[in-house]
Amino acid sequence: MSPSFPNVPAAQYFVVRLRRAALLVVVAALAAGCAGGPAESGPVTLVFKHAKILGPSDPVPGLLREFEKRHPGVRVQAESLSWNSDDQHQFFVINLEGRGAAFDVMMLDVVWVAEFARAGWLLDLSPWVSRAELAPHFPSTIEPATWNGRVWAMPWLMNVGVLYYRTDLLAKYRLAPPRTWEALVDQVVRVRGAERDPKLDGVVWQGRQYEGLTVNALEAIWANGARVFGADGAVFPEEERAAGGLSFLRALIVSGVSPSWVTAADEELSRRHFGDGRAIFLRNWPYAMALFQAAGSPVRGRVGIAPLPGRVGGAASAASSGGAHLGVNRRTRHPALAAELVRFMAGADAQKAMSVGGALNPTRMALYRDPDVVRVHPDFPVVHDLMLKARPRPVTPAYLMLSTTLQPEFSAALVGVKRPRQAIEHARLRLSYLLEGLR
Amino acid sequence: MKRRGALGDALVLTALALWAVPFFWQALTSIKPDTALLAVERLLAAPPTLVHYRAVLERSVMPAALANSLGVAALTTLLAVALGAPGAYALARLPVPGKHVLLLAVVACTAFPQVTIVGPLFVLLRALDLRDTWLALVLADTSFALPLVLWLLAGFVREVPMAVEEAAQIDGAGRLATLGRVVLPLIAPGIASAGLLVFLMSWNELLFAYTFTASEASRTVPVALALFPGVYEVPWGDIAAASMLASLPPILIVAGLQRWLVRGLTAGALRD
Amino acid sequence: MTARARGAARAGRVMLMPALTALLVLAAWPALWVLWLSLQRRIPVFGIERFVGPSHYVFLAGDPRFWNALEVTLVFTFVSVALEFLLGLAVALALQGQRRGRRLAVALLLLPWALPSVVTGRTFEWLYHPSAGLLNYVLGGQAINWLGEPALALPALIVADVWRTMPFVALLCYARCLTIPVEIYEAARVDGAGALATVRDVTLPLLRRVLLIALLFRTLDALRAFDLMFVLTGGGPANTTETLTVYAYRSLFQTLQLGFGAAIGVVVGALVMLVAWAYLRAMANEEATA
Repeated sequence: MSPSFPNVPAAQYFVVRLRRAALLVVVAALAAGCAGGPAESGPVTLVFKHAKILGPSDPVPGLLREFEKRHPGVRVQAESLSWNSDDQHQFFVINLEGRGAAFDVMMLDVVWVAEFARAGWLLDLSPWVSRAELAPHFPSTIEPATWNGRVWAMPWLMNVGVLYYRTDLLAKYRLAPPRTWEALVDQVVRVRGAERDPKLDGVVWQGRQYEGLTVNALEAIWANGARVFGADGAVFPEEERAAGGLSFLRALIVSGVSPSWVTAADEELSRRHFGDGRAIFLRNWPYAMALFQAAGSPVRGRVGIAPLPGRVGGAASAASSGGAHLGVNRRTRHPALAAELVRFMAGADAQKAMSVGGALNPTRMALYRDPDVVRVHPDFPVVHDLMLKARPRPVTPAYLMLSTTLQPEFSAALVGVKRPRQAIEHARLRLSYLLEGLR
Repeated sequence: MKRRGALGDALVLTALALWAVPFFWQALTSIKPDTALLAVERLLAAPPTLVHYRAVLERSVMPAALANSLGVAALTTLLAVALGAPGAYALARLPVPGKHVLLLAVVACTAFPQVTIVGPLFVLLRALDLRDTWLALVLADTSFALPLVLWLLAGFVREVPMAVEEAAQIDGAGRLATLGRVVLPLIAPGIASAGLLVFLMSWNELLFAYTFTASEASRTVPVALALFPGVYEVPWGDIAAASMLASLPPILIVAGLQRWLVRGLTAGALRD
Repeated sequence: MTARARGAARAGRVMLMPALTALLVLAAWPALWVLWLSLQRRIPVFGIERFVGPSHYVFLAGDPRFWNALEVTLVFTFVSVALEFLLGLAVALALQGQRRGRRLAVALLLLPWALPSVVTGRTFEWLYHPSAGLLNYVLGGQAINWLGEPALALPALIVADVWRTMPFVALLCYARCLTIPVEIYEAARVDGAGALATVRDVTLPLLRRVLLIALLFRTLDALRAFDLMFVLTGGGPANTTETLTVYAYRSLFQTLQLGFGAAIGVVVGALVMLVAWAYLRAMANEEATA
């Protein structure tokens, strides 16, 4: 299995350097474009809590300094949270429910927005943010942002599940990227049979017991034609097909198409393994492409990106969307300024700086055709189309209850502790009790 | 008991040193460059470096966390001893109605799981608007520190000969004066022992600190270490360095104040 | 009652009052309030707060996740306390004859016990690292994923817990050993007892009481264990390391089900009290027969 290198390889740093230089140019252009702005009197500090997922080329500090420059007397203090999204959620829940005002602006996983809005933890941004201001963002990001008819958050980062494949290996055996998982398994068997490399795995993905597992399992369940909620609110209405989705994932492991450690893998572990040239396929988010194409990467120039496969007789393709929104703590002492910071960070200029300077995907559709951005990320036009087709996880204030109930059940099915049918059954039993009257 | 030779003594010490290897390994990791961490044999050979300590001290919340933990642990210890010493004296020496039930309740308090009361405490501290403050943690930690102090000190008070107190009272000293001038000095070593134990428990406490603090400015050491942020990678070297800093007070106590610590540790268990 | 006795009673009340008040507010009140909470459906996110009677307990009785957590809790407690007991006793007996380096020996023993459990967690996380961990290296370059394999994660946690707390048992026993008069051992030797027989017939009976107390403390601690799971596994993989405490905490603060989480917390509390009561009974019997 892949060694976990404790530091970023030198090549990656080099890419980062380049990015930083590009970022400086953009920030400088920003500064030149807009001098001055409305100022509030007296020194004010805004605290911006965000996840530390941005990699070594963090464009955020530069943007915050720019915001400070436009708002004299305002200081923005960025505080980062641990990288695990479940930990972040717990942090926010404990503190927002505890009426904490220790932070003003927060980065929210897209699946939390409805929950936080329902709980009354988010400031209603409607007075500052119009519907028209949201229109340039991907439609799938607007639904959670405008839960229940008000604007609760602004879309910031966009994500979609994609399939990475090794172009060299597929070309060698005259294969096209697989459209179904069944075809993918055939290709894995064929390539591995011919390559005779015991260190070459088939497909790697995220099976550790965390939010990433929910995403991967839901994609498998959707691909098999099952839904989480029926129209009447029933949980897993197509029970047989839902269990079939899990069975397929389990079968990948049992048959050796996926190594057994995928049940402990997160994005980085799987990305690294594929990036070391030790897997034919990888399910991950678009951020990984820039790292594969970095100078010194063992798979540089040999990686393609394709839509996630569907299932024979199931849905065509079912990639989950993801991403992050920016929201304001309802207990902030500076609502107008905090809303202003959100609008600034989600604005076109800042999002451009984020995508040029970091390996992150903006939520503004136009940026995927912006020449400056496409120069750094040639894969963006392809990714744009995949994002348009992506399927959001259920938009419900009870999402976390849903996901945290599903995670251990999915995990138990993947490692073989429970049969898939049993795992789905147990999940239904719990959900019908916990969600009673909540949606 | 038969006395062993030097060889047997050395053997036992070696075995105990081996037991402590996980800690030494973490200490070694904390002074090794990143490039040597991914392979064990290189980790052994690489030259030592202080780069992780510099990173932790300059670019993480650890310095603030160390100050918070020190403050919370010290204040918890002070509060528990200040409330516990007179209470323990009363329990040990004065006619208190329902004394046995009280003692039993105190023991029950030391055994009560944190997770059982964390919900109600969360509601209480929120209502008092105390979340994210030292005071919240001091109060929460007192819920397990105070019963322990009461229990340990009551035992130490009972060891003070009655005659000493009676002599003081014949001299006309009141109860409070007797406690302050005669009993407390006599049980000072006991207070030190109990205080050390409570300090360590408070220093090490995670569940309450995680639940009742929000900002980086109020994080304690265990919380900061448990949530130590990484970027793409887990920064093992930095985590090891932070672990060493978090272990500093316990190590100093073990090395310098061993006698008092052991006394406190064994007092409750060995008394008949 | 004499004036003096009345004065003593009043002084007792005054001196005890601050401590009792603090305990009432910080321990007794939450302990009672949690019972009330556990009878409510209380989910702040949805603004729900209503009395539902014992329905959480009824649900738990048929909840596979609850029974799994109970089993994990009991296995963790039993195995780790048993190992601590055996190893701790062995260490105490080995130390009993120590002549030189006692202070160092005690310091080495105290070290794992005194460290924050989060440090222990982080230390073992690194030792267990699949590719760069000391453990796999010592095992000859294995690539075992100690914390990721369902069958290995709980044993890995138990090892970390035993490492941390065996010294507690060892120190208590060792301290008791030091109070055993040398004459007793001399008498045993005169009677011709061998080393093993001396341990069995002299030392162990004298250690019974302290062992029971050490066991009591350790069992109660193990039943409540939280920190190691929080740092090392978070309850995974496949919930094979989710103890009742972890289940309760996740319900309380992952999804803010304050009522449901309280019900699990009450079960943990009841379990702890039950075990404490059983031990105290055993100790009382011990004293009655002794």
